[in-house]
Amino acid sequence: MPPGRVLTSKIERGHAAESYTARIGGAGGFWGDRVLEPVELLKHEKLDYIMFDYLAELTLSIMAKQRARNSETGWATDLVDWLSQGGLTELQAQGVKLVTNAGGANPESCARAVLEIARNNGWNNCKIAVVTGDDLLARLDFLFADGHHLSHMETEELLSETEATIIASNAYLGAGPIGAALEAGADLVITGRVADASMLVGCMLHKSGWAANAVELGLSRTEKIADWAPEGVTSPLDILAQWTVAGHLIECGSQVCGGNSSDWQTIPDLDDLALPVAEVGADGSVVITRALRGGGRVDRRIVAEQLIYEIGDPAAYITPDVVVDLRQVTLSDESHERVTVMGARGLSQPKDLKISGAVEAGWFAASSLLVSGPDSRARATLCDETLRGRLDCCEDLEIHSELVGTGITLPPGIAIQMVNREDPPEVLIRWAATSHDREEVIRFGREVAPLVLTGPGGVCGYGARARPRRQLRHWPSLLPRELVEPQVKVEILTVADLLRSTDRLEFIRSRTRRFVARLQVELEEREWTRPIARRIYGSDGENTKKREEEVAG
Amino acid sequence: MTSCAWVPLSELAHGRSGDKGDCINIGLVAHQREWLELLSAAVTPDLLREWFGDMLRGEVRVWELPGIGAINCLLEGALGGGGTTSLMLDAQGKAWGQSVLRLRVPVDISRARALGLSLNAASVDRFGEVPLD
Repeated sequence: MPPGRVLTSKIERGHAAESYTARIGGAGGFWGDRVLEPVELLKHEKLDYIMFDYLAELTLSIMAKQRARNSETGWATDLVDWLSQGGLTELQAQGVKLVTNAGGANPESCARAVLEIARNNGWNNCKIAVVTGDDLLARLDFLFADGHHLSHMETEELLSETEATIIASNAYLGAGPIGAALEAGADLVITGRVADASMLVGCMLHKSGWAANAVELGLSRTEKIADWAPEGVTSPLDILAQWTVAGHLIECGSQVCGGNSSDWQTIPDLDDLALPVAEVGADGSVVITRALRGGGRVDRRIVAEQLIYEIGDPAAYITPDVVVDLRQVTLSDESHERVTVMGARGLSQPKDLKISGAVEAGWFAASSLLVSGPDSRARATLCDETLRGRLDCCEDLEIHSELVGTGITLPPGIAIQMVNREDPPEVLIRWAATSHDREEVIRFGREVAPLVLTGPGGVCGYGARARPRRQLRHWPSLLPRELVEPQVKVEILTVADLLRSTDRLEFIRSRTRRFVARLQVELEEREWTRPIARRIYGSDGENTKKREEEVAG
Repeated sequence: MTSCAWVPLSELAHGRSGDKGDCINIGLVAHQREWLELLSAAVTPDLLREWFGDMLRGEVRVWELPGIGAINCLLEGALGGGGTTSLMLDAQGKAWGQSVLRLRVPVDISRARALGLSLNAASVDRFGEVPLD
């Protein structure tokens, strides 16, 4: 524990840390979730912060590929859709801070796009913090050379030895940089890869005065987060654990308000399903509730389903901030649509950060056909055998077939004993094919539709030929945090920075224009290039004609 | 075994599932916290291995969360590579949390009665063909 810890001035001014309760909205759960719902949440709920998790395991590798094609892309464009359609106006009017990992593979471009909206809205002093340093792609060779081989957590293969192209490699950052960004006065915090739950923890580091204390004590961002706690805060690890659980509970948006629930039959108005709100105290108190306008429900059963969603060992739920023991967490229906969460225990801060990587695998395509008639299952099986027979020459092609409607969602070890002996009225046969040879996957795509005319009777429902796409293989690994955290940067951008970068862009554009003009002259000086010049500058444009006359004259 | 009856898992618990890398996570929450004892005794790694058989490429683990009366089941290597390398239609394992609820699991009759679990839907056999008297 560093010496000389003092209470922050904010807290000394009479706001006891314990009295802070932040209302934090969970705006959505992945890139592809309902786009405009966060605007409704902001309009109808009084919030302090709003967080949006856009990054599933492989989202970032897709973004990295986008960025490689166009340096201004590689981030979750849904963000600007809802911010430009009322979202940013609400944030400004109400002073709600937004924390999101929408930055993906390109947080700076994402921030610039948001600043464009801010400028159009006349919010010229809007401050956006950009958190970078999660992206390790450019550093991999140095890490490998230093003996950090990023061994795959499941298969123990070394990333340094893979022959596959590495598409992305990002560290899961924690709450520290988010807390620091908010403390620096950011209105919006845009990050790349951060642990989902850390977005909420970052808000609380700010709200509860921990981030202010860290600034006051001159703690570097690589200090343990628990050491940011002001003097007098007891069990900071348990508080971090409670905040982390709150973050985990709202990180999937409406899934904690009755979406994807076993109780689906009694959830009201799924068509207008509300987003969740966590009421979180500086002391670690947590209540999960929801935007009360709209459908859905928050109760103990529904929150319990989210607590156990996508976790491993409940004795050690690991985020960059804290290792949480979830085993004694209790949930109680405090009152209507309000669930109190208690009992999360914080054990320590993990020594390593999880690295989420992706490498290119083979090519992939999927296709399906509907099979009808008596003996639908036998017809579907014949269809499958026929397809495989026609693709027999493709040596690397692997085909996975599923007869949808015959019990594919039953555990295979028991399905065979359970499934009705009668054939279903129809079977959807779904094929997924993969090969390292793209041509083989194209071949597969071509062989599906012909089965309608050349397979058993009653086959229908074909679509366009399936196009091959690259498979990405997820590559999780661990890396000591001291190799990542010193590189993490929090940079504040404003509309003024945007103008500067626009100036830069304008400079590049004007240079390009001059270059094109020179090229034009050169082209026109050579008679034989005229058709090309015409193609480039248009054949019937006034100017071109004039220039052609000049050249001819 | 006369002391044992088979009940649909949905009588005992509700659930949700998803992916964690190449693993399927199936979380099951007992309808009553006290029923965790029955749930843990019913849904064991052995039962899960029997259910999922050839799909499994690694360990099967089951942990308790006594605070909410739940178990978390982790089926390692069950997603055919996970992410976009999986060729399965449900590449994220999201179906299993609901689909297993229809399966029958064994409970000790006297413990079930003592804990107030209804045996109205119980059967003598695991496929529900012979109802429990």
